[in-house]
Amino acid sequence: MRIRLGAIAALAVAAWLLPYQLNSYAMHVVNVMLLYAILSVGLGLCMGIAGQINLAQVAFFGVGAYATAVLTVKEGMGFWTAAVLALLATAAIGLVVGTPALRVQSHYLGIVTLGLALAFTNWVTNSTLAGGAEGIPGIPRPTLPGVDLSSDYLFYYVELALFAVTLVFGLFVVHTSLGRRMRAMRDDSLAAGAVGVEVPALRMTAFLLASVYGGVAGVLYSGLIGYVAPETFSIANMFLLLAMVIIGGRQSLVGCVIGAISLALVREVLIDYPTYAQVAYGTVVVLTVVFAPTGLAGLPVRLRGLLHRRTTATASSGLTPFRPYDPAGTTGEPDAPMLAVRDLSMHFRGVKALTEVSLEVPAGQIRGIVGPNGSGKTTLFNVVSGLYRPTAGRVVLDGRDVTAARPFALAHAGIARTFQNLRLFSALSVRDNVLVALDPTRASGTWRYLVLPVGVWRRDRALRREADALLDRFGLAAFADNLPTALPYGIQRRVEIARAMAARPRLLLLDEPAAGLNGDEVRQLCDIVRSIRDFGVTVVVIEHNMGMVMSLCDHVTVFAHGAIIADGPPAEVAISPEVIEAYLGESMAMPAPVASEVQG
Amino acid sequence: MLGRVRRPLAAGLLALGVLFVAACSPPGEEQTGGGGENTGPIKIAIANAQSGQLSSLGAWELKGAKLAIDEWNAKGGINGRQIEIGVFDSQGDPTVGTNVARKIASEGFVAMLGTAESAVTIAMAPILQQAQIPNITSGQSPGLIAVKSPFLFLNGPTSLTYDETLAKHVVDQKGLKTIALITNNGSYGKGEHDSFTKALATRGVTPVADQVVTTDQKDFSAALTNIRQKNPQLIFVGAEEVQSGLIVKQARDLGIKAPFAGAAPQGTPVFLDTAGAANVEGTIVSTPYLSNEVDDASKTFAAAYKTATGEEAEMHGAKAYDGAQILLTALKNSNAAKGKELADAIRAVKHKGLLGDFAYDDTGVGIFATSIGTITSGKLVPAAG
Amino acid sequence: MQVFLQTFIGGMSLGAIYALVAMGFSLVYRTMGLVNFAHGSVVMIGAYIASTFYLSVKLPFALAMAVAIGVTGLIGIIIERVLRPLENKDFDLMLIGTIGFGIVLEALAIIIWGATGRAVPSPVPAAPIDLGGLRIRTYDLVVLAIAAAATALLVYFLQRTKRGAAMQAVAMDHQAATAVGIHVGRSNAMAFMIGAGLAALAGGLVGPLLYVSPAMGGLLGIKGFAGAILGGFGSIPGAILGGLGIGVIDSFAAGQFQGYSELVTFLIFTVIIMIRPTGIFGERTVNRA
Repeated sequence: MRIRLGAIAALAVAAWLLPYQLNSYAMHVVNVMLLYAILSVGLGLCMGIAGQINLAQVAFFGVGAYATAVLTVKEGMGFWTAAVLALLATAAIGLVVGTPALRVQSHYLGIVTLGLALAFTNWVTNSTLAGGAEGIPGIPRPTLPGVDLSSDYLFYYVELALFAVTLVFGLFVVHTSLGRRMRAMRDDSLAAGAVGVEVPALRMTAFLLASVYGGVAGVLYSGLIGYVAPETFSIANMFLLLAMVIIGGRQSLVGCVIGAISLALVREVLIDYPTYAQVAYGTVVVLTVVFAPTGLAGLPVRLRGLLHRRTTATASSGLTPFRPYDPAGTTGEPDAPMLAVRDLSMHFRGVKALTEVSLEVPAGQIRGIVGPNGSGKTTLFNVVSGLYRPTAGRVVLDGRDVTAARPFALAHAGIARTFQNLRLFSALSVRDNVLVALDPTRASGTWRYLVLPVGVWRRDRALRREADALLDRFGLAAFADNLPTALPYGIQRRVEIARAMAARPRLLLLDEPAAGLNGDEVRQLCDIVRSIRDFGVTVVVIEHNMGMVMSLCDHVTVFAHGAIIADGPPAEVAISPEVIEAYLGESMAMPAPVASEVQG
Repeated sequence: MLGRVRRPLAAGLLALGVLFVAACSPPGEEQTGGGGENTGPIKIAIANAQSGQLSSLGAWELKGAKLAIDEWNAKGGINGRQIEIGVFDSQGDPTVGTNVARKIASEGFVAMLGTAESAVTIAMAPILQQAQIPNITSGQSPGLIAVKSPFLFLNGPTSLTYDETLAKHVVDQKGLKTIALITNNGSYGKGEHDSFTKALATRGVTPVADQVVTTDQKDFSAALTNIRQKNPQLIFVGAEEVQSGLIVKQARDLGIKAPFAGAAPQGTPVFLDTAGAANVEGTIVSTPYLSNEVDDASKTFAAAYKTATGEEAEMHGAKAYDGAQILLTALKNSNAAKGKELADAIRAVKHKGLLGDFAYDDTGVGIFATSIGTITSGKLVPAAG
Repeated sequence: MQVFLQTFIGGMSLGAIYALVAMGFSLVYRTMGLVNFAHGSVVMIGAYIASTFYLSVKLPFALAMAVAIGVTGLIGIIIERVLRPLENKDFDLMLIGTIGFGIVLEALAIIIWGATGRAVPSPVPAAPIDLGGLRIRTYDLVVLAIAAAATALLVYFLQRTKRGAAMQAVAMDHQAATAVGIHVGRSNAMAFMIGAGLAALAGGLVGPLLYVSPAMGGLLGIKGFAGAILGGFGSIPGAILGGLGIGVIDSFAAGQFQGYSELVTFLIFTVIIMIRPTGIFGERTVNRA
């Protein structure tokens, strides 16, 4: 910490003193470089942190610059008034460009944003308002009382200050609630929705952030250069920006800055050979994605990983026993249904995965759901947790109709789930995985970042303590800082349950929680599930391990071919003729060996 | 414990102290007069697109300017001082252009030749004006004059002159009234569009079709179909060499038989090659430089150009050559002056060049006439009458 | 009416090119789930090689095309080989990797052939056909015929040959395909090679239609990709319909909105994708939990 603070102080002093060492041209180059750095941070937030492919960053830059130009030159406004309006305009455009992200992702989003960026350059090239191909000259330099900003040297300090503010704000976002939820959404948007992350709103927020960063850079650009023209906002420059972010390391904002500065420097060195510079940075981009996907920023970690690979293999040794919850007195009437499913049907292009299924789970029950593969069990979970919109029928949670509600809304209403094939946020630490679910912050509370950053910070620290307590309860304290992918399978399973419980659910859906666990781990799992039930949470569990179902569940529902074929206490269901037939004569009373079924 | 707190604190205080001291004297370059050294080579910058799609233009400009400078150097330079060239690549991008302008300003160049793209020149102009570096550009957009920089000069006529001459020829002399326009939305095409429409308007002619295409468009069937519908007697093209060539080629494919007219790009070999010789027959061109065989001066220039570069001379090289000659003459007349003095010297130059007789006015334009030529059997020849 | 039809014809001939480009995108995508943003640049390289062998080496046009298809096929294999470690892992990284390849290919073209480009004379010298005032270039008909033939060949290959069937299997489920003994790596490489070959075909054909320059790949690639998505990404008939659709939209936008045509084309495209993300023939992908 002390070293880091010292380094920051040294960097700040160096940045402050830098202009004294530079001639006027070098000063100008540095000024342009800082603009790229701001743009890269914005792109990094959108692409690296929130996982939204954004090939329109250069257009945001352009909107900021053009809006400033039009407002100062054509409308005669003062620079700073124009700057504020330009930022608002860019933010509005950011929301428009972000709208497709609600419907499409990844390459679709790439082509749509790229198309919109092209549409922007096309518009400014034609519009007389934007000066057409000749652009708008004569943008005034901004003024500050007592400071002569017409000198590039002093303009540098304005840029430096804004750069520092935007970078620190970006880092603050990344390391607190908003950024954590965005990273969760990037790693697995389904799981993020299931733990209550408002995916659509966060996608828009990502584009909003990117556009505001683009706008800040654009405003500064028009003040610095005093001239805007369409070529500056071309696709070639967009790809250059992308290369900066990728080479620097898209998941680290500091990496983005390093990428921007180093690529700008290399380009400056090769200024007389732009074509070779292009070959060089294109090649580096390819090499980066193949050999160092985390970019320059990820190199230290990777190198450390190579050195220490052997020594960290004993990760599983830190698991401690689960500390049971304090049993809660049963809240409300015990027999009121927590979950009721009525005549539910789910068809996929003619395939009937569920046909008119009805079931009720009373509060405080552990309900087992069994059935052969493809009998519709997971489909039921997906409908109940909001991933699928049912073809017909209703889902009622504790008396409230929640049919076809969005996953995050259901999570807020008290449904939590785990997934058959683990869906942990792979690039988030175990603690962060839990924090995402624990965090009650809503997207509508994002304004706090502007008004009350201290409050955000304080709240985050409180949440962190809560998360550590929860991890401790689940015996996972030793792994709080590990990435889940580095942990043994059994521990990952437990992390997922801890994450589900972090959201303080009323109804917990467990999808084959015992798959891949050994006998000892299955016993621990049963203890955990019972304690969760005693804590007042209703549990529905899909499981193939019949021994576990028999001993754990109060009540079992059997599925076959998308319909319920039997329903009752475990002992009754196991001897029902339909069930025996469905399982091809396989007696369910026999404790099956530990299931280690992997389902695609 | 105390030590742990104190050290960063001390470091912070120290840093703050340094900042404070530093803040007292704002950074910046010492404004050295710069006029001191009157020995050594005279540095002239040539800035143009040396890479990117417009780099062929940049290459021609460079060859023309370099030819003039080499000739002067061979004759002993100016007052015994050799002329040194610095070549800069603007990449056809205004942002890069502003970088280049600052570089030129910080490296002690006394004047700049180029660029061929008006938008880039306009972006560079305020910086060069502030640094008092005269600039002779190859751009021709009326926007250059709107900049109102006393340090900015053109080495040819503006689009207004080109198109006024053309309109006079086709409307007043040939009596053509149904004229269609196809121009691109780039700075050159836009300038041509506005200038030619203006020249037509003063003659009471409204274009029957006015099609705008984008600069990177390569398929014009939609625009040309609209034009064909109007059956014009003449089609005015306002686009760079390659695009003009493609437009003419595709128009002939669509069965459009009307002749084309345009300014300088339509007189170049690139236009002719792109469109195909048969398709451009009869194209009317308004250009300050008809061909390499117009008079003795152009023949001498063309021969020297061929010897130096191994290529046939063309208009862009000739324009740059004229611009360089004017600058060097001004340097000689002013005894290698700099800054405002040099700008005044350029304004005072009366030069008989390849493009005609230069005499600058206050707007920085030195020549106000072009000639009309017609492409006949694959050659640009002076129009009859 | 005549203007309408003529504009439509203009859109169709470029649309056929977009369809070939879109088919390359779709083939690679359905087989290995990769969007190849370098595809446009491969089209450009194909155009240059075809025109070089046609103009400078004086090979017959068809032979020049064959050479171009061979060389770009090789480029396709190289791209696939380099990016193989990322296959089925990180979608976004692969996408960015191919953008990197595109940047490199464009710069290499500038170094080899210069920045300005060249015009290619039509290999079919016959005069345009005049149909009651409608002009149809004979070369346009050749382009349409070749595009149709290439489509038929591709469909035949995918449905009737063993190699093609293997590729289909990989497209459906690469794990299951591996299980039944299909070499997924080889299948992917082949998809990439055929995709690049289609790109060269498009590039070679578009040369005489437009103009060959290092920058041509950008717009051709973006519009071809838009065509592929419009038709339903991964679907071969969708690619053809989508490519032709983009060509026609583009042509009418150019006629109606002139300089603003690009803006209009991409806005229409964005709106269509918002309304129907899966395109015309697209599969509705189901989120697997």
